[in-house]
Amino acid sequence: MSIRKEHGNVSETTFNSPVDIGPLSAPDGSVTVADAASTTKVQVRGGADTGAAAELGVGYGRSQRRADGALVCGTRPDEWTIYAGAGQASAITAALSEVFGHFQGEPGEGFVTVIDITHGRAMLRISGSNATAALNKICNLDLSDELTPDGAVFSASVGNVGCDLVRDDEGGQTSFLIGCERSFGKFLFIAVADACTEFGLSVPHGWELHGH
Amino acid sequence: MIVVPCPNCGPRNSGDLRNCGELVPRPDPSAASLIEWREYLYMRKNPADWVTETWYCRGGCRRYFTIERNTATNEIRGQEAS
Ligand SMILES: [Zn+2]
Repeated sequence: MSIRKEHGNVSETTFNSPVDIGPLSAPDGSVTVADAASTTKVQVRGGADTGAAAELGVGYGRSQRRADGALVCGTRPDEWTIYAGAGQASAITAALSEVFGHFQGEPGEGFVTVIDITHGRAMLRISGSNATAALNKICNLDLSDELTPDGAVFSASVGNVGCDLVRDDEGGQTSFLIGCERSFGKFLFIAVADACTEFGLSVPHGWELHGH
Repeated sequence: MIVVPCPNCGPRNSGDLRNCGELVPRPDPSAASLIEWREYLYMRKNPADWVTETWYCRGGCRRYFTIERNTATNEIRGQEAS
């Protein structure tokens, strides 16, 4: 395995979200859409049989909350994403590189990469009792509890934008984290908010995607 | 809509995937004639019957896989990662 320890030159610059509006909620609280683009996002790629994969501890399609609050997601086969609070990218990439470095040279470890993708991705959180119903309008997958339980990780088109999703319930409330490429971030936010208007959420003037 | 089973993601709407067409064996680049290359690149049988084809899981795991699909009925069988 080869890990280039160059995290020292990655500065934790101020994050500017492509979404410039606070959380939007339906008056009855049944659905809330909130920007979460500043979430730290660190991508790890490596073989499923590597020490790095064993260390991360989750397979494709599942996620696990670490004791320090970071959410480790099996985003694709041989690919993981770690989500954490804002401003933790340097610390997380450094810690992972340190741990993965111990497996260096072991047979079968291969090439493992740890990359901060925080600034390349937008993210939002949709929560509430109507979150699933709203999301189902613009996503092809079956988001029922049986097929997409809390902790499920999957990629799908949301409003025709390629997205990485995590079902990440909060306090017993259904909640999804949805990430996409940064340049689609504002459109995704508008598309998700638009899908929620049926459940009482109001969108700012100019955001209407359909004639109401 | 066609539901296509990805070996990694399970059944997916074909709109989230890309059909890469009939699986055609690639000739040896150092030995193939121009005619063999042309057939490999452009010529397809396109039957109204079972074909083995490659799909790309664009919206999901981003892996390629092969399935057999009946182009007349859209029945699908024999899926495997490629
Ligand atoms: Zn897939």
